[in-house]
Amino acid sequence: MIFGDIARKKLSFLALLAAALSFVIVPQSSFAQDATTSVDESVAESQSVADGEVVMETDSSAFEHFGPEMIKGQPTSYEDDAWASMNFQEQYTDNGNYALGMHDKLLMPIITVISLFVLGLLLWVVAKYRKGANPVPSKTSHNTLIEVIWTVVPVIILVVIAVPSITLIARQYAAPPAEAITIKANGYQWYWGYEYVDNGGFEVISNMLDESASLDAGEPYQLAVDNRMVVPVGVPIRLQTFGADVIHSFGIPSLWFKLDAVPGRINEKILTINEEGIYYGQCMELCGARHGYMPIAIEARSMEDYNAWVQAQGGMTLEQIADEAAAAAAAEAAEEDAESAEDAAEAGDTEGEAEAEAAEADAAEADAA
Amino acid sequence: MTTATATLENRNRRTMIMAFAGALAMLGLGFAAVPLYDLFCRVTGFGGTTQVATQAEADAAAALASGEAYSIRFDANTARGMPWTFKPVQVTDVVTVGERDMAFYTARNNSAVPVTGTATFNVEPEAAGRYFSKIQCFCFTEQTLQPGEEIRMPVLYYVDPAALDDPDMQGVEQITLSYTFHRAPEQPETQ
Amino acid sequence: MATTAEGFDTHNGDHAHHDADHKPGFFARWFMSTNHKDIGTLYLIFAIVAGIVGGAISGGMRLELAEPGVQWLGTFVGWLGGDPLSFDQQGHMWNVLITAHGLIMVFFMVMPAMIGGFGNWFVPLMIGAPDMAFPRMNNISFWLTVAGFCSLLFSMFVPGGIGMGAGVGWTVYAPLSTSGSVGPATDFAIFSLHLAGAGSILGATNFITTIFNMRAPGMTLHKMPLFVWSVLVTAFLLLLALPVLAAAITMLLTDRNFGTTFFDAAGGGDPILYQHLFWFFGHPEVYIMILPGFGMISQIVATFSRKPVFGYLGMAYAMVAIGVVGFIVWAHHMYTVGLSVNTKMYFTAATMVIAVPTGIKIFSWIATMWGGSITFKSPMVWAMGFIFLFTVGGVTGVVLANGGVDDNLHDTYYVVAHFHYVLSMGAVFSMFAGWYYWFPKMSGRWHSEFLAHLHFWVFFIGVNVVFFPMHFLGVQGMARRYPDFTAAFAHWNWVASVGYVIVLASVAIFFINMIYAFVAGRRAEDNYWGEGATTLEWSLSSPPPYHQFETLPVIEDHHSADDHISSKSATA
Repeated sequence: MIFGDIARKKLSFLALLAAALSFVIVPQSSFAQDATTSVDESVAESQSVADGEVVMETDSSAFEHFGPEMIKGQPTSYEDDAWASMNFQEQYTDNGNYALGMHDKLLMPIITVISLFVLGLLLWVVAKYRKGANPVPSKTSHNTLIEVIWTVVPVIILVVIAVPSITLIARQYAAPPAEAITIKANGYQWYWGYEYVDNGGFEVISNMLDESASLDAGEPYQLAVDNRMVVPVGVPIRLQTFGADVIHSFGIPSLWFKLDAVPGRINEKILTINEEGIYYGQCMELCGARHGYMPIAIEARSMEDYNAWVQAQGGMTLEQIADEAAAAAAAEAAEEDAESAEDAAEAGDTEGEAEAEAAEADAAEADAA
Repeated sequence: MTTATATLENRNRRTMIMAFAGALAMLGLGFAAVPLYDLFCRVTGFGGTTQVATQAEADAAAALASGEAYSIRFDANTARGMPWTFKPVQVTDVVTVGERDMAFYTARNNSAVPVTGTATFNVEPEAAGRYFSKIQCFCFTEQTLQPGEEIRMPVLYYVDPAALDDPDMQGVEQITLSYTFHRAPEQPETQ
Repeated sequence: MATTAEGFDTHNGDHAHHDADHKPGFFARWFMSTNHKDIGTLYLIFAIVAGIVGGAISGGMRLELAEPGVQWLGTFVGWLGGDPLSFDQQGHMWNVLITAHGLIMVFFMVMPAMIGGFGNWFVPLMIGAPDMAFPRMNNISFWLTVAGFCSLLFSMFVPGGIGMGAGVGWTVYAPLSTSGSVGPATDFAIFSLHLAGAGSILGATNFITTIFNMRAPGMTLHKMPLFVWSVLVTAFLLLLALPVLAAAITMLLTDRNFGTTFFDAAGGGDPILYQHLFWFFGHPEVYIMILPGFGMISQIVATFSRKPVFGYLGMAYAMVAIGVVGFIVWAHHMYTVGLSVNTKMYFTAATMVIAVPTGIKIFSWIATMWGGSITFKSPMVWAMGFIFLFTVGGVTGVVLANGGVDDNLHDTYYVVAHFHYVLSMGAVFSMFAGWYYWFPKMSGRWHSEFLAHLHFWVFFIGVNVVFFPMHFLGVQGMARRYPDFTAAFAHWNWVASVGYVIVLASVAIFFINMIYAFVAGRRAEDNYWGEGATTLEWSLSSPPPYHQFETLPVIEDHHSADDHISSKSATA
């Protein structure tokens, strides 16, 4: 924008001053997330050690992360595309497209017309009813018809807006199917942990990359992270959020998704990403000193890639889990037959039931380990 | 004139007292919101608050069991500063609506001192809160674990058959039961 | 009636009685004041001081956000005695700035100016009362507000966890404000809200009593000027909303200091409940900030159109409706906390309803101008700026009201743009309109109309350059309360920071104008706006006598609400 450029030049002394000061006062190292330091990492580590489930990549050849050319959900700078920098990010979910359509095709026209209408009336009044043009004021202070009109017309407009609005909410609250892959986004001060509860329960800790590392990776600084949240594309995901300390919010602009991560409870919402790619988001609820430095990067991959990644993380695919469960069930059934033959005479009904429950649970636990 | 002034003062005082009474009532309401909100959540299942049921209620629900089933997901979290490993024994389970089922969680104290924990809980989707009834739960009481101690904790629950008639539950196939273990407030710090 | 009390027959010829201007000595007059005009003046001066502090803080924020990277926060940390090199202290400093800016502007700038300043000055004058009902309580209200401001400023210089000051946001959400920030800073910030809140509750009681009991004979509720109506509705909102805030933040304090667990999940509390309580107060609060502005705009538009306000009753009850509905829409500030589908749909629908009475007001103002004979004095220009910019801020509110759409916009700069359009432009434009409207009445001296117009145009351009680009940043996904941003957001942030410089220039014009007025301003006559200005304050001298209406004016009943405009001759 010309105006912006002029302004930029005029005030470039401010920028210079700021830059100079930043060199003096703030060594670059202090930006780096390596300051994520002892506390956070030790927490993360102790957690993963305790869980005993973060396994080093055993088979890295099977999976390779997307490069920067696959970045899809990110803000556009004015210099790259002025128009895009003034509009919503492109949407990669059906609900996002619906919401975007509602905004662009319904809300924007309505609010623009209303604003211009009011502006037009004001200009009309200025031209027509200034003292010079209309020396004698009228005495009108009532007009029932017009008052009814400007009450009823807004009501009609609001009803028109309400219909798609309610539809949108209903769509966003659609219940995920039972087989939807469940991934938890746990908010910590100040990083995210992604827990793959359906794939063995491992947790991936995701920290922001520092400036040089993100530039090396060809990714935008303050959005790039060390470990992305890898998710399958094209299938519904049951995304659950949890806040371990204070309230965080899991927000991805290009997926039209935002859900708070609240301590002491989980929230849940369905998310289906339409295309493979990388989608950036950030924490959207004030959570303390490094609120601005806990970005989110989602990498949506095909189911095969996703499974490969899961295995590389030491997790198990759904198939593997199902196979093991079937095997365990078979073993248990055999065991139970033998047991019930032995104990049938003496064991009380309820006791046997509870025992069976426990046995089943034991078996499941053994499998999980 | 003096009587007029006097009446004005009286009227003013009366209005002031009424205004203060209004403000005090709202102040009281602000504090009363804590138990009222709690009650509201328990009764309506707002925020995914689960219900507590007696054996008798559970038996009544079981009588209405229709054979339809929900998948139940078990979720476990620990809050900051809670040195426990807390996990569900089974990630998911399928339960027939109305029939009671038992699920287990395990908790292990990883610290070198005894730690008392309390659990908070909710279910998702939120609409399921009023139909998710617990007969027995480790979350009803505090749990104390000795250093290194590991326990299995049962939850005995059922899904109220009324859920099947609720339009808000249409399309719901899986209900997540989530627990978070917190350090109980009054106890010495671990480290 | 109302804004066009042309028909009020004011038998107050003796207001210039020789006793009426007897003033106490300096200390007694300004520190122990019980005079509503003096207290109003104190409130206005206080609001200007607080506005300078809050505005300076926003200057620091715009400076920091002018370019990507953290350039200035370290300096600010150093000023407060922290470690300028600490990355965490810099981040905390940012949170302190946003918290202080929000709290100062809401509780110590807009509210004192609107209700304490203009309300105190003109409610008694407009209803023909000699003073407020409880003059000494009025004084307490003021000094409680000052004490609250001091407590808030003090909080910036004591430890607040990672660094100095309370970095919890003006919403003070638990658990960030409880287990999330140790140190006394947050306690002082919370306590400042207690003090300011107590002051406002006392003030609200005072206004309600004054307006109900002390109207001049003949001035029925339906003849009150709309500004008085607006203050009445505001006072009720204060009276009903602030105690809820007081309860919520008291529980925060006990959670912080006395081991209670109202909002702590570990003890069975619920952090979401705090948000419900806060916004049950917080949403009426935004109407508290804007309703007196509505009232002032109604007075001003009628005065300069030389017409009675269009649809007086509709205007009055639209404000009542806004006040009532304002209490049942609070959770639209909480769309992403995990509300159930029905809750979200309800709050979406309820929120959109507010657009109807607001629309009635906008169109009624325009209808008031319609057919008028308008002179574009500075208050009118500010009022017209208000109407347009408030409309722009209002329509983005309709966008945000949609819970599903808000999923993307929640806590982004779109929200920042929205509430600054309705407050920084809505409320502030109405305050400047009221200021230029009444300044000669209050001071007895004329400001420069030229500078007032210049102030308007520079300010108008400035605030739009600051806040319009924030819509773009918001839809692009830039989150609120971030000290830094990714490079893609640089351009529009730069533009917004440039806009701040323009605003700064306009504020300089304002102060030059005030200096001019006090040094060289010519004397203002009683009714300097002429025949359009018909409320009772215009029947008094400028400035009004220290004690006015010692003999109450009588509003005679021989004019209906509609026809009195031409009955100028009836005025005694």
